[in-house]
Amino acid sequence: MLAIIKKELKYYFCTPIGYVFIGIFLIAFSISFYLTVLTYGNVNFEYIFYSTPTIFVLAFLIPLLTMRSFSEERKNGTEQLILTSPLSITKIVLGKFISAMLVTIITSIFTLMYFGILCYFGMPHISTAITAIIGFILFMMAYVAFGIFASSITENQIIAGIISIAFFIITWVMPSFNSNLESISFINMLYGYTLGTIDIADTVTFISFTIVCILLTIIVMQRRKSVK
Amino acid sequence: MIEVKNVTKKYGNVVAVDNISFKINEGEIIGLLGPNGAGKSTTMNMITGYIEPTSGEIIVGGLNIEKKPKKAKRKIGYMPEGVPLYTDLTVKEFVTYMAEIKKVERKQRKEKVEKIIEQTGLKEVEKKLIKKLSRGYKQRVSMAGALVGEPEILILDEPTVGLDPKQITEIRNLIKELGKKHTIILSSHILSEVSQICDRVIIINKGKIIAIDTPETLENKVNKTNSIYVTVEDPENKMETIKDKIKEIKNIKKVNENEDKTKQYIIEAEGKQDLRKALFTELAKENITIFEMKKPDATLEDAFMQLIEGGDK
Repeated sequence: MLAIIKKELKYYFCTPIGYVFIGIFLIAFSISFYLTVLTYGNVNFEYIFYSTPTIFVLAFLIPLLTMRSFSEERKNGTEQLILTSPLSITKIVLGKFISAMLVTIITSIFTLMYFGILCYFGMPHISTAITAIIGFILFMMAYVAFGIFASSITENQIIAGIISIAFFIITWVMPSFNSNLESISFINMLYGYTLGTIDIADTVTFISFTIVCILLTIIVMQRRKSVK
Repeated sequence: MIEVKNVTKKYGNVVAVDNISFKINEGEIIGLLGPNGAGKSTTMNMITGYIEPTSGEIIVGGLNIEKKPKKAKRKIGYMPEGVPLYTDLTVKEFVTYMAEIKKVERKQRKEKVEKIIEQTGLKEVEKKLIKKLSRGYKQRVSMAGALVGEPEILILDEPTVGLDPKQITEIRNLIKELGKKHTIILSSHILSEVSQICDRVIIINKGKIIAIDTPETLENKVNKTNSIYVTVEDPENKMETIKDKIKEIKNIKKVNENEDKTKQYIIEAEGKQDLRKALFTELAKENITIFEMKKPDATLEDAFMQLIEGGDK
C-alpha cells in the first residue's frame, strides 16, 4: 500500500496537478478571506471555510484530483500491472484514497497561515478554528471518496470528472430545492463544524459515506475481474 | 508449474476461451500461437489473475490463482500486451515501484533493481523518463518490470511486437537466457520466433486449443508432397528426359527461367524416397549442371495454416 501512496504522491507533485490544486485553492481561499475578514472586519477564521468561493472552487478541484486515479490506469493498461501484483484490491483502493487525502490535508495545513495573519491582528478562536479544519477535511474526504469511486466506473477521465463535479454541485444546491434535504446536505454539516461544534451524527455521516464509496470502488474493481 | 483445467471465459454470449486445459512443466518455454482474437491474451490474463474465468480452475505453482491470489501472483511476472507503463516515471523509479508492489524485501530491493536494470540493458537510460524512450527500450522496461522480484513464471504477451530486427534478436536472446531459470509462456503470431525459442507450442484458434506439441513434431505432422527444387544449367533441354531415367519421378515442372540461363524445376516423386542422390548422378550423365538442389522444409507456418484451416472446416 505504501508503494501505491508513494507513487501517487510522486505523480501529484511531479506533475502540476498537486500545485494547481493547492495554488487555486489558496487563491479562492484568499478571496474568501478578503470577503469575510477584510470586508466585514471580523476575525472569524472558520467562516472562510464555509464561504462561497472556497466551496465553489472545491467543486472543480476535488474532481481534478481524483478523476484520473483509476480511469487513467484502465485506459493505459497499467491497471494490469497493479492488479496482477500481489497487492489486494482493498490496498490499492486505500492507497489511492489516502494519497489524494494527503494532498487535501496538506492544503488544509496551508490555510493555517491565514490563521496566523488573524492572530497577528486580533484574537481568533483557536478551538473553533480547529473544529472548522477538522470539519473541512471530513467534508473533502467524502468528495474525494466519491471522486475515486466515479473514476473506477469509467475509463474516461473527463466523464469521471464530470460525474464528480455534478455530484458536488447537486449536493451543494440540493437544500435550496427542498428544505427536507437540508439535514443530509454535506454543506450544512460543514456549517455545523464552522460554528465550533463537532456533531457526532455529522461526523458519522461523513465517515460512513466515505466508507461506502470506498467499498463500492472495491466492489467495482473486483467485479471487473469477472466481467472484463 | 501451471495447470489450466477446463477453463472457459465468456463475455456475455461471446465465448472467448472455450474449455481449454493444458499443463506446463517447470523450466519449459511455451509458445502460445494463434491468429488475432484467438484468445491468447485472454488466456494469459486469466493465468495472471487479471481476469477471472467464467468456469474452470487455474493452478499456478500449486496454488489456485482465485483462492490464494497473493501467494500465486508472487510467482508470476507479467508483461502485458502493448507494454503499459507509467510514462511519467523514470526507468529506475518504475522498476523500483514494481519491486515495491511485488513485495521485494526492502533490504534487497535496491540491489535487485540494479541487477535487473543491468540484465535488461537499461543502465544507460535508467534516469530517463519512460515517455522519452523508444519502443524497444519501453519493451525492455516492461520486461524488467516483469522480471523484478525473480518470479518463477514469466508471462510475456507478444514481447517482440513493434521492434526492429536487431531488437527482436536481442529480446529473443534475453528470453532464451531467462528460459534457463524461469518457466516462460509467451504469445506471438511470429511463427519462426516460436519455433526458435519454445520447447512446446500451444496453437489456439477461436478459443479452442487445436494442438499442443513441440515445434518439430508439428512441422512433421504437416502432410507434404515429396518434392525437390533444382536449379540447373541445361543448354540441350534434356531435363524432360530425366523423367524416363528415374522411375520414381511423377512430374517435372519448370517454375522459373533465370537471367543467367539457368532454370528452376520442381521434381515431384512418388512415395517417400529421397531422389537427390539419383538426380545428382543422372543429371551429371546428361551433362546438366546443378546449381542448386534442395528439399523444402515444412515450416511451422504450414502446420499453423493447416491446423487453423482444418479447424475452420
